[in-house]
Amino acid sequence: MIDPVNIRGEFPIFINNPDLIYFDNAATTQKPAMVIDGIKDYYENHNSNIHRGIYDLAASTTKKYEVVRQKVADFIGAPNEQSIVYTTGTTAGINLVASSFLSHQLQAGDEILISAMEHHANLIPWQMLCEAKGAILKVIPINQDGTIEKPLYKALLSPKTKMVALVHVSNSLGTINPIAEMIEIAHDHGIPVLIDGAQSVAHYEIDVKALDVDFFVFSGHKIFGPTGVGILYGKEEHLKKMHPINFGGDMIKNVTFKKTSFLDGPQKFEAGTTNIAGIIGLGYAIDYLNQFDKKEIQKYLKHLRTYAVNKMLEINGLRIIGSINNGNNSTDQAGSIISFVMDGIHPHDIATILGVEKIAVRAGNHCTQPLMDFLELPGTTRASFTIYNTPFEIDKMIDALKGIQQFFN
Amino acid sequence: MCKIQKDKFLSEEQVVNKMNEELKKLYKTVILKNNNEPFAFEKREEAEVVLEAYNQICGDRFRLFFEIENDKIVNLSFHGFGCAISKASTSILVKHLEGKSLIETKDILKSFLNVINPEGIKEENIEEDFQAFEAAKDFPGRSKCATLSWDALKEYLEEK
Repeated sequence: MIDPVNIRGEFPIFINNPDLIYFDNAATTQKPAMVIDGIKDYYENHNSNIHRGIYDLAASTTKKYEVVRQKVADFIGAPNEQSIVYTTGTTAGINLVASSFLSHQLQAGDEILISAMEHHANLIPWQMLCEAKGAILKVIPINQDGTIEKPLYKALLSPKTKMVALVHVSNSLGTINPIAEMIEIAHDHGIPVLIDGAQSVAHYEIDVKALDVDFFVFSGHKIFGPTGVGILYGKEEHLKKMHPINFGGDMIKNVTFKKTSFLDGPQKFEAGTTNIAGIIGLGYAIDYLNQFDKKEIQKYLKHLRTYAVNKMLEINGLRIIGSINNGNNSTDQAGSIISFVMDGIHPHDIATILGVEKIAVRAGNHCTQPLMDFLELPGTTRASFTIYNTPFEIDKMIDALKGIQQFFN
Repeated sequence: MCKIQKDKFLSEEQVVNKMNEELKKLYKTVILKNNNEPFAFEKREEAEVVLEAYNQICGDRFRLFFEIENDKIVNLSFHGFGCAISKASTSILVKHLEGKSLIETKDILKSFLNVINPEGIKEENIEEDFQAFEAAKDFPGRSKCATLSWDALKEYLEEK
């Protein structure tokens, strides 16, 4: 069972700011003491550069660093650690796949398929690649309730489609896309799929092997880990064929002035000294998350979301965007992110006033500007929950929202 | 162990009261009034000058419509979408600049922007309408809301 009050106590930021109500978890989660202490311990007791040192300290740090690769593999059901590439985050992972995997095979007139609810990070790398290659970026429309238009997805797949890139859980709407089914459909056409798991991996059981997904990307900082680290999972057959795009130390087999050969494993993508402390911190974040049963997490978040949605819908003039979030029955397709608008009150005014009440929410287009254009909204206010949030905090937000309405009318 | 301290939080009524206290500094009557009843808020199909004030961070977008006749700004109106602060500050701009000469406009621009500038030296006899926006500089990310249209006009006049 999820005990949010106990969990809250494991996060120093809430000890230092007892009245902070943090509902911006889709942007970044807070960090538990386990992660912060782990990073501190690395710098205080283990700091050294990896792979190169012969002395004990360097050897033990290398081990600490490489152990995380296996930990990540286990965490997402990857067949082995050789399919796990350390990156700086979700964005870097997508860019790497675009530049290193797809770039070499994409021809003029080819197509890349994304959805209308992609984060800019899963849009712009593909758009740039299309511009460079004369390829075409196609977009799967979404329904007004915030779900993907599945019949159109099938219709948009063609022999020209060379890649499908989809978000698992939308950061703007909270929609959970049926990725297993969508991957299967793409594979029926022989098309590789990348899944952006930035918003899903903290709360949902991910099994990349069962999904048979080609690439899966996520960031450390959205799963209670540090900023500046992320993971690209790729099927080994793909990673082997991919050429590195960053060159330098720590990724080579042999170097002469005439020619360089690269390492075979994921390390060939990790030139230079990486964010060692961050990777080690990510390992602790995974240890932290592994204490919880993902089914329990989902059950708790479903409870929080239903509680919030029901109370929010009682407020006149408040509208939840992507009606998949409304009602109690649609829970399988809605995550713990609620985007909303209030009649006549701008999202930034809402967020400013909630901010005065020490309630942290996000306002704006959430890096999904084309989605906002599609919904004909300048932006929304977004509350995103995780395991340390409570119904009590939601009550406080509801009170504040009612206050905002009174204030503006 | 950190328990949530319920007594640290306020009731709905207290929240409204506290909100009114702390936020009335930011959302003064002037701002709320201009947000709800903006001055010369009308879309024009044609105008000699159509200036766009756009904040790419939040998507606020206003258009200023006007003509320059005999070195004076005339027929000034605006349209668009934005938060209460950006909408009210644009409304105030329209109210104070209609019919003003370009030289007067530059002084008024300077005077308004100085109110929001954290390093601005407080001038005497500032228009009450302008003073209402002073608190915006204390709110992270909100001073741009207050200056959005003013910056756009300033830039236009400097390039002119």
